[in-house]
Amino acid sequence: MSLAEFGILYAILMATMAFSRCVPLFALRGRELSAQVVAVLDLIPVAAFAALVANDLYQPAAWTTGNVWQALVPLIAAGGVVVLARRTGSLILCAVAGLVLYLVLGAIPL
Amino acid sequence: MSSIAHHIRRALPYAAPIMAGYVAIGIPCGILESEVGIAPWMAFFLSATFYSGAGQFMLSNLWLAGQPLFAIAASISFVNLRQLLYSAAFAPRFQKVKRWLAALFALTVTDESFGVNTDRFAQTDESAILGGEADFHPWEAADATCVNLLSMSAWATANFVGGLVGSTLAIPTAVASFAMTAIFICLLFGRTFTPTTIVVGVVSAAMVVLMKAVGLEQPAIIVGAVVGVAAGCVFASLTRDRPIVPEAPGEALADDETYAAHLLDADRLEAAEEAVGEDER
Repeated sequence: MSLAEFGILYAILMATMAFSRCVPLFALRGRELSAQVVAVLDLIPVAAFAALVANDLYQPAAWTTGNVWQALVPLIAAGGVVVLARRTGSLILCAVAGLVLYLVLGAIPL
Repeated sequence: MSSIAHHIRRALPYAAPIMAGYVAIGIPCGILESEVGIAPWMAFFLSATFYSGAGQFMLSNLWLAGQPLFAIAASISFVNLRQLLYSAAFAPRFQKVKRWLAALFALTVTDESFGVNTDRFAQTDESAILGGEADFHPWEAADATCVNLLSMSAWATANFVGGLVGSTLAIPTAVASFAMTAIFICLLFGRTFTPTTIVVGVVSAAMVVLMKAVGLEQPAIIVGAVVGVAAGCVFASLTRDRPIVPEAPGEALADDETYAAHLLDADRLEAAEEAVGEDER
């Protein structure tokens, strides 16, 4: 990738990213938001996290390789993290435990 | 201690898990970027300004796949549309924050920092209503911005290092990225659910799986989240589940306490009040 190509790509990406990151926040700034609008906005975190988790855990290609165990590894590891999250709520514990669980399960030759 | 140092010190414990994850994922990202001819300084610059993990991985992969430049830009921009939702979700919190700080915050939000800051602001709301511990400090816009900037510094540095070391360092991306998945899981399942939020979560996840199953991977997250929120609104309207249908529909939120009370779900409030009652007894 040349510097010119990088520059063009960067300019487009920055413009669209700045739009997505800033416009809603500033468009709603200074306005008195109704309770209903705030309540709808409050649903976004749950929707976003659920979508991100599902996106990470479900990889269609993993199910077509014939190795079901490897496709199940992230799901089982995620189950362990869910239990830990409910009990501790600790981000760092969940990240470390999830990583270890994923590595251990992935190393099992099934 | 200066004001900035104060905010950094408050933000650091919450940014640390994200920073660790970003180092683990940022190095492979930098390696990949070096493979498509992006120099380490360019990787650092890109990471410190554009700052999008998914976007940067996509950029390298699509370039290696021989995609045209404008197709790459369009694909990445489309995936990053989910930032519209994050920005909208934070809007009520930044009504009275200085413009430059609001802009700096908005420009540095990622999936992970969105989650951590959402959680911290929710804790502040809860404390405002129930009366938190004596040493509890409300989460401020400056703290949230410091979480973003600390995370960004880790990401940019890791990308730079990845570009320098090239393929001499092998880090399995799938394993490293599961740390981020675990953080999302913690942020999702560490909270108290209401019937409405359960519907939102289930529909969002189901929509993502459905879209990926039919090959629509790129818009899966944004479409899944939007459909989930819409389903939650419909469900709440039909069942009159709190807090989506307020006592007086259309009533503007008058002050911070009203707003905080509105955000706090009823089940959690009741559970906390019971706990306080038991302590007093």
